[in-house]
Amino acid sequence: MVDELISSLLPRLDAIPGRVTAVFLRKGELRILSTHALQSAFELLSRGTRLDGARLEIEDVSAVVRCRACSYEGPPNRFGDERGHLAIPILSCPRCGGDVTAVAGRELCVERVAVSEGEGATRGSVTQGAGP
Amino acid sequence: MHDVRLGGEDILARQLELAEENYRRLHERGIRSVSVLGAIGSGKTTIVEWAIVRLQREGLRVGAIAADSAGDDDHVRFLSRGARSVNVNTQDDCHLDAHAVDHALDALPLDDLDVVFVENVGNLICPADFPLGTDREMVVISVTEGDDMIRKHPKIFAQTDLVVVNKVDLAPAVGVDPQRLIDDYAKLNPHGRIVLTEAKTGRGMDEVLSLLGFECTNTQW
Repeated sequence: MVDELISSLLPRLDAIPGRVTAVFLRKGELRILSTHALQSAFELLSRGTRLDGARLEIEDVSAVVRCRACSYEGPPNRFGDERGHLAIPILSCPRCGGDVTAVAGRELCVERVAVSEGEGATRGSVTQGAGP
Repeated sequence: MHDVRLGGEDILARQLELAEENYRRLHERGIRSVSVLGAIGSGKTTIVEWAIVRLQREGLRVGAIAADSAGDDDHVRFLSRGARSVNVNTQDDCHLDAHAVDHALDALPLDDLDVVFVENVGNLICPADFPLGTDREMVVISVTEGDDMIRKHPKIFAQTDLVVVNKVDLAPAVGVDPQRLIDDYAKLNPHGRIVLTEAKTGRGMDEVLSLLGFECTNTQW
């Protein structure tokens, strides 16, 4: 998966001068993937590429649900343990108890990178692609 | 230092595409498919064996994909029950992905099958992030793993609509109250269904098959 992340990211960096210092990965909270494992794999698999030395920063995305019955759209209720260690989204409508679909919380995508301009980059020359 | 925005596509999009291809491939042949996830030693294989026997008795032709890190033990068990089976060794990978299932489907005689079971590697964490393209899914645990299994792995259970709690006959021996599992699951997934089974004897299997969409007319196990 991290291999896929790196190989899809590298061509998109071609038009961006400078040194990439960080890659920001948006990870939905419904994803189970381990942050630590993702970062270790990134460190290893980016060696020898233009991303060598860049940090992989994980940005958590909270779940948002949409109810199929009453059209509620917003944060779900959460399942917690008595010590407050857990706050797992419950995939059920907080308003009517109906079945929901998750409209946010399952994503895993890179939407931005941090670039150091120290190596020949020109400010203003780096915009690529559309934002979300 | 500044940020550069990229219009990035989801990294799991390719996995989803592959899963959709698997789904189409099975669906266009009218094959029903069930993904079986669960804890190591919970009884996934025994449950699939019973399903094979039972569905064959209903006249259905059953195929199976047996995934394990190593070996072909489960594959041999499926073959011994009369299923067409493919063995997949994931080696260092702790789960199946849609690509591996695609290859496994290549090795199955899909034109001669009505049902395919896909038994994943025993694991309650990462398989949940990898859709395989089956139309049904169930997660199997057993009482011998303790009555806190669901609360300890909340993410997978919050996203699973059918949970099988196996080996319920052993609950008194290991001091586990299955009701605690039922209560935890009800809180995590109010729409989900949970079935208590004793796969060694077939108890509960009718209900499991029914919830998977199979109506069995022959009630003898």
